[in-house]
Amino acid sequence: MLLKIAWRNIWRQRRRSVIVIISVAIGIVATLLTETLSRGMMLQMLENQIGSHVAHIQVHRKGFEANQVVQNYLPARTKVERLVSEIPEAEYYSERTITFGLISSARSSSGVTIVGIDPRREERVTTIEKSLVAGQYLSARRNEVIVGKKLAEKLGVGVGDKIVAMATALDGHIGSDVFRIVGLYETFSSEFDKVYIYVPLKESQEMLALDGDVSEVAIILRDRNRLDQVQQALERGLGGSYEVLTYPEILPFLVLQLDLFQESMLVFYAIIGIALIFGIINTMLMSVFERMTEFGVLKAIGMRNGRLVVMILLEALFLGVIGSVGGFVVGYFIYLPLSHSGVNLSMFSASLNSFGVGAIIYPVLTVDGVLNALLIIPLIAVLGAIYPALKAARFEPVAAMRYV
Amino acid sequence: MATEIIRTESLEKVYSENGVPVHALRGIDLVVNKGDFLVIAGPSGSGKTTLLNLIGGLDTPTRGAVYFEREDLSRKSDAELSTMRLHKLGFVFQAYNLIPVLTARENIEFTMVLMGVPERQRTQRVLDLMRDLGIDELAEKRPHEMSGGQQQRVAVARAIITDPSVVLADEPTANLDSTTGASLLDLMERMNREKNITFIFSSHDPQVIQRGRRLFLLRDGKIDRKEELSR
Repeated sequence: MLLKIAWRNIWRQRRRSVIVIISVAIGIVATLLTETLSRGMMLQMLENQIGSHVAHIQVHRKGFEANQVVQNYLPARTKVERLVSEIPEAEYYSERTITFGLISSARSSSGVTIVGIDPRREERVTTIEKSLVAGQYLSARRNEVIVGKKLAEKLGVGVGDKIVAMATALDGHIGSDVFRIVGLYETFSSEFDKVYIYVPLKESQEMLALDGDVSEVAIILRDRNRLDQVQQALERGLGGSYEVLTYPEILPFLVLQLDLFQESMLVFYAIIGIALIFGIINTMLMSVFERMTEFGVLKAIGMRNGRLVVMILLEALFLGVIGSVGGFVVGYFIYLPLSHSGVNLSMFSASLNSFGVGAIIYPVLTVDGVLNALLIIPLIAVLGAIYPALKAARFEPVAAMRYV
Repeated sequence: MATEIIRTESLEKVYSENGVPVHALRGIDLVVNKGDFLVIAGPSGSGKTTLLNLIGGLDTPTRGAVYFEREDLSRKSDAELSTMRLHKLGFVFQAYNLIPVLTARENIEFTMVLMGVPERQRTQRVLDLMRDLGIDELAEKRPHEMSGGQQQRVAVARAIITDPSVVLADEPTANLDSTTGASLLDLMERMNREKNITFIFSSHDPQVIQRGRRLFLLRDGKIDRKEELSR
């Protein structure tokens, strides 16, 4: 019955309740779109990093992550390869040589990270092949290289041009080779594009005198929720002379940023909530003072203060829930097409690129986002009604009945 | 022998109006017995409603005491007073004061909800009482869809549905025409007779005063005259 009274009470001043509901709904829509867009941006940053190079898990010789020199090549490569291929959760893997080096064109030179790859394996692990904007991907031919479009612009070269790559080989001498640019790629990160160049695995091994060895094995899992289990299985199988790193360990700042984002969304909700709470307090105070005589009667016939407070809080809860659900439905129908088409932020593409995000952001709605939207604002509405409810409860029945 | 149900001793109430003390009651000694049909009469401002509010535990006296079933109300907490009002008292107000968002049936049922009576039992008792009072056709009407007399009948039903010991009726006929008022008083007299519910009225309506079996006439916050009327 208390629920029934509270429900009917909110429709006594229909216009006022509708205004509160609309303001709650607008708050929810704004919050939902901001949250999904921000979350989408953060996840895109992470996915771009995973997709462009990092993968889900990397296996190295112990110490390689801190000191990426050719001497830290992966010991017993075939043992690692066999173990990885025996792990059912590992969907794809790619072996790479990685070293710092220098590339020069006729016009300029630049410090780079030279990555030797097996083109067929790599195209399943990373998005480099899909990121080509000119020319073609590495083929079976010798001495091909693909470079970032930004780097090519810096060096003043294009598809078909030759560059010279130099790096310190395993035996300490400077290995060098001439490569022909067969393709230019462009990822979501302009910084990445300026640094990474890709050459065939065999040529890089020859240039670095690696004799068939590699620097790392990058692995993509079927289910990334199994990240920890796969890491543990690899560590158990390989022993202490290897390091098995997951992407949160390789990208700690990005993961930290995601955590910070979750917390910053709570702050955002709090700001929206503070703006709404005053509207709720105002509405509930008006509603309470208008009905003071009625509260006096309710107390006179034996209603306890606790029930009176609950009744008023329920009214605020209904306003909050209706506004939140309505706002969520509206927000969801705005979100839904945007999650497929993305939001085009090309006017900010330069700064987004330096953050490793593309110009088109795909909003992402998560269970957390749904719960935040549907729980936090109704809770704030209830908090906003506490003062008016206590105010009503404090009046003596006679004083309440005489209240004008 | 009559059973005492309410007693007031040297009851005083002083209000402050804009800092000026107003003596609403100046030492009222009163005994109400089980089954009384008692009228507190007097002109406006004589303290009738104040006395009724103090008896009902809706207000606290400045001095003196109210005993309900020999228990001093000043010793009860707010929650205990609420429980007492819920279980032992019924109120009928001049302005009916039904809950506007509830139908007649729900208004009557509400006090039983507060008492925690199970739904099936509630529904049956409300229907029986409404039929008994001849207001069953009003069951699904909201207060604004009823006349003043109909609302007051529903208010009486709300007051007696919990089988209270005492019903306090503050100017119950003041907003009704004389025919409707007489019919309402008939109803309350019947409830007094059949259910032995004690009725205490505050009124200056002659037809209420005529029906009272005991009369206390208040003037300037004091009992000016007491009458025992045999009917």
